[in-house]
Amino acid sequence: MNDIDAIIKKADKLRPIPQVANKVMLIVQDPDSSIKDLSEVILYDQAVTANLLKICNSAYFGLRREIDSLHQAIVFLGMDQVADLVLLASAAGNFKIQQKGYDLRENDLWRYSVSSALIARDLAEMKGLKNNHFIFTAALLKDIGKVVMSQYVSDSFDKIIMLVSKDGLSFREAEKEVTGLDHAELGGLIAKKWKFSDNMVNIIRNHHLSEKPADSDIETSIVYLADIICMMMGIGVGSDGLAYRFYPDVLDSLGFSETDFQQIMVNFSVKFQKVEDMINKV
Amino acid sequence: MKVSNDINANLVTYSLGSCIGMVIYDPVAHVGGIFHFMLPESKLDAEKARKNPFMFADSGTPRFFKTAYELGAKKQRMRVIVVGGAEVLDQKGFFNIGKRNHMAVRQIFWKNKVLVDYEDVGGNVNRTIRLAIKDGQTRLKVSGREEITI
Repeated sequence: MNDIDAIIKKADKLRPIPQVANKVMLIVQDPDSSIKDLSEVILYDQAVTANLLKICNSAYFGLRREIDSLHQAIVFLGMDQVADLVLLASAAGNFKIQQKGYDLRENDLWRYSVSSALIARDLAEMKGLKNNHFIFTAALLKDIGKVVMSQYVSDSFDKIIMLVSKDGLSFREAEKEVTGLDHAELGGLIAKKWKFSDNMVNIIRNHHLSEKPADSDIETSIVYLADIICMMMGIGVGSDGLAYRFYPDVLDSLGFSETDFQQIMVNFSVKFQKVEDMINKV
Repeated sequence: MKVSNDINANLVTYSLGSCIGMVIYDPVAHVGGIFHFMLPESKLDAEKARKNPFMFADSGTPRFFKTAYELGAKKQRMRVIVVGGAEVLDQKGFFNIGKRNHMAVRQIFWKNKVLVDYEDVGGNVNRTIRLAIKDGQTRLKVSGREEITI
């Protein structure tokens, strides 16, 4: 077994995303689905429902009354929001743990992932896109490859960081050079294993725009931009620092000016304390 | 932004990214603080800057220093440290917010005759900085390197 096969094999040890998350993704993409369809699927998974209610009661939403049932959650927050929260509640397990290779403390990668997802959703709304759930989910899960790569990055950290600091490679390029695989590629393979849609697999694999940035579709561009914003704001950033490539053309193609870019940072920063509360509730 | 004269206090600001972490410490008064701001100019959003001036260099820096003076710190005794302002690879011009943040600090300090004792800014690295109020010991952790005392 070569190194790449060994890394891929290691991905089998991840906690699988609960089935409920996949079902919810299908329901919200179906225009004929109802609140009843959504609640029936979620109620089936008690652990996810319990986590979901904790998130609903976090300061992020600032609801005046306590939400103690799934039905109430959907009534107060709406089907769209609840669907995103189910995905949050389902994904937490893999992301909350410490990732030593990337020097990320417990909760750091989770903070980064949730923040990216919320920013990506804001960007999608600004662009008037309809598939916000899809973009939210892709941004939330895009770094799943890091959870597996962490150990390999840890083993080869000196080599990787040398390529970054001396040869000007991005951290992703250096990962690939040293281990034969990078965390985005690996994330794509994991997403495929988990039977995510081809589109989702592509976004996760290409979230650093490693392939032809100028031709990237709008969803990938938004997930990429949300990632860059989190990095710049220093939200849950690890030993890979800000060593990823910036493509200003992406902002042009999305129609965001430099002022918009800063305004997005300001808007997210204002609600960050509440986001922290939500992150800590799961 | 946090300023303290409690000798048991240890201040920290984690993971600066493109933001700047400014540390000040007066060893006689045992007053020190850390100010972490995100963007250079408050004119971007005057309303939000009014509610939270510490988001921006221009609206936050004077208030940060003033808070330290109110606790007895003196400008001429103060040690001043500036870290952060990192950039994503290939980030140029207007989008290089890390560099613009750093320029904003230099301008404000130049106008107000503040001298910087130690600076570690720019690059593609992430930084965390800590300050012990008891003795002013300041420790800097740069991603990919060991923590150092400055």
